Amino acid sequence: MSGLWRFPFPKLPSSAALRTAGIYTSGALFSLGFFLPLDASIYSKHRSGGNVHVTIVDWLPLVCSMLGMLVINSIERSRLLADNFSYSGGGVAWKAKLVLFMGFALMAGGLAGAATVLIMKYVVPGYPWPTLGFGIAGVVGSACIMLSSVVLWVSQNIEEDYSYNLSL
Amino acid sequence: MAGLKTIIALSFVLAIGFLLVILSSALYSNYYPLLVVATYILAPLPNAICARCSNPDDFIDGAGNGVLDFGRFLTGFFVVMGIALPAVLWHSQIIVMPAMVMSIIGGLLIYGTIISFLMFFQEDTNF
Repeated sequence: MSGLWRFPFPKLPSSAALRTAGIYTSGALFSLGFFLPLDASIYSKHRSGGNVHVTIVDWLPLVCSMLGMLVINSIERSRLLADNFSYSGGGVAWKAKLVLFMGFALMAGGLAGAATVLIMKYVVPGYPWPTLGFGIAGVVGSACIMLSSVVLWVSQNIEEDYSYNLSL
Repeated sequence: MAGLKTIIALSFVLAIGFLLVILSSALYSNYYPLLVVATYILAPLPNAICARCSNPDDFIDGAGNGVLDFGRFLTGFFVVMGIALPAVLWHSQIIVMPAMVMSIIGGLLIYGTIISFLMFFQEDTNF
């Protein structure tokens, strides 16, 4: 990370409490991202009188986002920066970056897919508000999961600073 | 630091929380809000389990910390789920508005009781 960019990255505040709060926030955002589409789905089943309903197509982008989040956060983070340490074997950093790329692609694909479903299924045929809301819930849900992943990533990087300071 | 008065106050708050949740179901003879109780009882469990599985003082291998973080993540998930579940049910007109309000407040009271009980009466095993 250091030595490549001319501008130094701003130092994250390193505190264990902030990190814990970040992880709780991340879980809360994930929950929000799950329950918004669930709300749209239950609403469409129980209350909406229209003939357009939430189907499996609306859920697929969300599943993609969740899989992406799982992949991104399963990677051991220290392997990303360890370029060619002797214990890590050849190209572990490269493999980790490849898996990370697939995770990000899954997540971005989920968001893009949700936007596609919103446009193709709800905006182009010109449905009115309660039906349009199903598509918007999908997009907001995917965005929430993305945000949750970002918060989780950032707060776990706080942890690395913290342990580094301690070990010095 | 925590004596008999704390226990009595906490049990009162717990009873009020359960009263609100049960009232929100029984008044409208619609027992979906009881799910909130299950959610909030589940909420402190991941932290308790993951704290046993990991050693937060171990900075050498980060594996233990990952388990701890997962527990916190699940706790955050469950707490928001306890609020979101009645809201979703209300939005779909499965339960009515007062039932939603009562079950959310009751659930928060129950969860707050559990958390403060754990905070007050936790045994210090670290030192």
